[in-house]
Amino acid sequence: MAGLDPVPPVLTARVGTPGSRKLEGYVADGGYASWRKVLAGSSTGEWTPAKVTEMVKASGLRGRGGAGFPCGMKWTFVPPKEKRGGKPVYLLCNADESEPGTFKDRVLIEEDPHQVLEGMMLASFALDVKHAYVYIRGEMWKGAAVLNEAVAEAEAAGLLGKNVLGSGVDLDITVHRGGGAYICGEETALIESLEGKRGHPRIKPPFPAVWGVWGCPTVVNNVETLACVKHVVDRGADWFKGIGRNDRNTGPKLYCISGHVEKPGVYEAPIGIPWERLLEMAGGVRGGRKLKAVIPGGASAPMLTAAEIAGVPMDFDGLAAAKSMFGSAAIIVMDEMTDMAKAVTNISKFFAHESCGQCTPCREGTPWLNKMLKRIVAGGGKKADVEMLLSVANQMANGMTICVFADAAVAPVLSGVAKFREEFEAYVAKAGAPEYGLAAPGEVSAKVAGRTAAGMHD
Amino acid sequence: MAKVTVDGRTVEVPDTANALEACREAGVDVPHFCYHPKLSIVGQCRMCMVEIEGMPKVQASCTVPVRDGMVIQASSERARAARNATMEFLLINHPLDCPICDQAGECKLQDNAFDAGLPVSRMAEVRRLIPGYERTPIGPHVVADMTRCIQCTRCIRFCNEITETGELSFVERGGHTFVWTHEGKELANDLSACAADVCPVGALTVKEFRFRKRVWWLDKTRSVCDGCEIGCNVSLEHKDRIVYRTTPRVQPAVNDYWICDYGRFRSERLNEPGYTRPVVKGPGGEAKETNWGEALDAVRAALGRALENDASKVVVLGSAHLSTEENWLLARLFRDSLKVRNLEFRVDEGPARRMKRGKEWIHGTEAAPNSRGAEAVGIRRSRNGDGSALDLFLSRKNPPPAVLYIADATFSDRASDPAFVSLLRSASVLIVHARVKNALSEAADVVLPAANLSGKEGTFVNFEGRVQRFDAAIVPPPVVRTDLEILLHLGKRFGAFETGWTASDVFSRMKATVPGYAGLDWNSDDLVGNPPSTSLTSAYDVLGFERRPGEAVFSRLSVVAADVKP
Repeated sequence: MAGLDPVPPVLTARVGTPGSRKLEGYVADGGYASWRKVLAGSSTGEWTPAKVTEMVKASGLRGRGGAGFPCGMKWTFVPPKEKRGGKPVYLLCNADESEPGTFKDRVLIEEDPHQVLEGMMLASFALDVKHAYVYIRGEMWKGAAVLNEAVAEAEAAGLLGKNVLGSGVDLDITVHRGGGAYICGEETALIESLEGKRGHPRIKPPFPAVWGVWGCPTVVNNVETLACVKHVVDRGADWFKGIGRNDRNTGPKLYCISGHVEKPGVYEAPIGIPWERLLEMAGGVRGGRKLKAVIPGGASAPMLTAAEIAGVPMDFDGLAAAKSMFGSAAIIVMDEMTDMAKAVTNISKFFAHESCGQCTPCREGTPWLNKMLKRIVAGGGKKADVEMLLSVANQMANGMTICVFADAAVAPVLSGVAKFREEFEAYVAKAGAPEYGLAAPGEVSAKVAGRTAAGMHD
Repeated sequence: MAKVTVDGRTVEVPDTANALEACREAGVDVPHFCYHPKLSIVGQCRMCMVEIEGMPKVQASCTVPVRDGMVIQASSERARAARNATMEFLLINHPLDCPICDQAGECKLQDNAFDAGLPVSRMAEVRRLIPGYERTPIGPHVVADMTRCIQCTRCIRFCNEITETGELSFVERGGHTFVWTHEGKELANDLSACAADVCPVGALTVKEFRFRKRVWWLDKTRSVCDGCEIGCNVSLEHKDRIVYRTTPRVQPAVNDYWICDYGRFRSERLNEPGYTRPVVKGPGGEAKETNWGEALDAVRAALGRALENDASKVVVLGSAHLSTEENWLLARLFRDSLKVRNLEFRVDEGPARRMKRGKEWIHGTEAAPNSRGAEAVGIRRSRNGDGSALDLFLSRKNPPPAVLYIADATFSDRASDPAFVSLLRSASVLIVHARVKNALSEAADVVLPAANLSGKEGTFVNFEGRVQRFDAAIVPPPVVRTDLEILLHLGKRFGAFETGWTASDVFSRMKATVPGYAGLDWNSDDLVGNPPSTSLTSAYDVLGFERRPGEAVFSRLSVVAADVKP
């Protein structure tokens, strides 16, 4: 299959071009042609919602937010009109991009907002949505401003609003800024947050397709997924399917490469390209050093050693086979200088800070792991601590909590300890050594944890 | 109904039940914190983990609706390991202050730690503190100590769903999460102290009860609240003749799991000192403590003289505070034996009380529990301007009666109003039953000391005609008698009654003739209600030790459907 050959950029084609944010430039580049085409065809019956859904299904587009669920199939879970009891359907664009290492959606929103909006419009047409929302991460104030401006432009041009372009289709898009919580990227927490409540994930089932925002059927799609929808309708399912490693991993993909590489950034490539080629695109490991480990799918993905990632196709199935996950394609590269115990400690701090506090194992377990790790790297570790890290992490995951946050939080700890155990044990062996300036492990514990006790936040 | 198998035992449960309820029905106690039968399901304490066949992961049983044919492994190794894990997480930051915590003894965390906890702690870090949110009143009746909170959100859901006032919320996030009132608000609503009842740990405690008594010393007696005519089932908790607190007793037909703050804190009144011996005023008007013989003889003599002259000059007041049995004896004695026609009672309009039953509010408007019972035995309800004997006398249209017999000196708030009392005092002879001193009792010629609610038994009829029994919690002080005994002994002097009758004897004698009582059984579940809860913090412990093997839970608890939707 030629799907892995380099293709001209699709999603990022307009990024960096002058006026890429403006409607004018977007239309000049052929933007909103699909939206006009679909609306015009809707009255003649040439274009129906089912046809758009079928195209997306046929394209093999999988959700770009992390789970990789087939996008078209997700849409078909929305009950048909006669079974909705008069309830409207909502489309939520998940722009709460907060997974450490992920920064692809921000590029799309800030550089080419109309592309995302057109994807939302086409998805709304397919799903009979009258009001769609963009839930954008609170910190991305710039993206929110850009999007709001783009929405205003589209409204002024008659591409949004009542009876769009005389087709009888109504559609409004509202941009909603989140309050800045990682968990609000989880779709049910996002829904709760959009409703004005605390961002606490809901018990599933019922799934959002049946019981979503305000109790109505709701589809939550990632920014990149919706941008892909635009191109699927633009150029057809077969074209989309022609890009990528195989039938289960199709289309162009944005890779966020960060960490110890020469040129960190967002790279577009056919989904499933081998790891080595991706690393090459990013200029290789910085300073010509040796690769030590890679977190291939955001902080919540289990890390892989250099040997494990060699030759792995960077897509959903390829990384699942390597016992990690593709997630949001946030690739964090760590070279040989990296202290894995400290890296894991740093990641665990993030998860301890971001746990929503709803379920006991996660609320209590994430700070516990973090406190233990901090104590170990501060020179207060005990021999049993390494085993206890694994034990505590294991009893947080696998169905113990409402959402998969806890599973995500323990993945770096479990994989880090499993693959770089000697580094943790080295810290424990040195515990209490004069270089830490401390007398005994117990004292370290008090000193490290005392920071927590003194204030509400460490 | 769905057939569910739990640990090999198959039971039938309603389709609306969840797996946790099915386990309980099968006699398997799955420990839990956030689940409460009257609150929505949130499934966030993760304590009630079980294995369910066909589901690869362990499940929080409260979040899983039952299905016909569901097979649950509640005691498998995996389920136990999951519960042990949650227990460990709950305990790592919980303070070890049980010896000074008021919840100790009725704390679900303690109980479940015995069942599912590890014998040692692996926690080597410093425990979490919530500085500034300890031992702080968050309302008139509730004291919060957030270092003990286990974030089950029962109190938050209680305020959102039951009282519909929403004072409480989570504050902060993650490991720092705790519960507090919204900025500038306090936890003040009609049922606020119930928030402390539903708290499974010592995070919310009742201010009035804190540190008064260790709960394991308390004896619990079934009673019925006498604050208004709703008739909430309560449990009087007492030790050494002192009532320490009132707690709700589960009754789906009346008050569910709740009582209002007003009813709860009326228990203080039961401990008030008062008359311990009968008082008879001498010829010069000086009050003299005496014995029952002399006091009852004085009553008999006064009544005898008045009846010889003119029975219409005798006015007898029953009371909506007396049990139906006592009112019936009063009616038997005066109306049937002594042919007194003026037999009436008067009840105060109380401040509006309300109670949540299921999803509806029910309202109480009177300040006494048993006006329906008094009416049922044929005692006339007297109101201002209705031409009753009491009304005519109070409005000075009739001359004062020769004898005014008031079977309850606290029948109205106005009994401590000197102007009102001087009107009543204009009767030639004033006889009252009283437990506590007030203006009326001090003005009376004869005071017969009568036990209050905690010292007697009987039945009340609530606003919907439901007959409910209350039991005697404590033995009244030595010479004090119940109203029932006083009336029996007085009746004996007129040859009307046997003195050996108990409340249940009176009940069985009267039930054929009193409307609403026919066919009732003194010991039936309907009259008695549920036993006092062994621990209010657990949804099912209300059935406690009295649950008989194989007895259905659902028939007695009216479990709500697991409403997982927000």
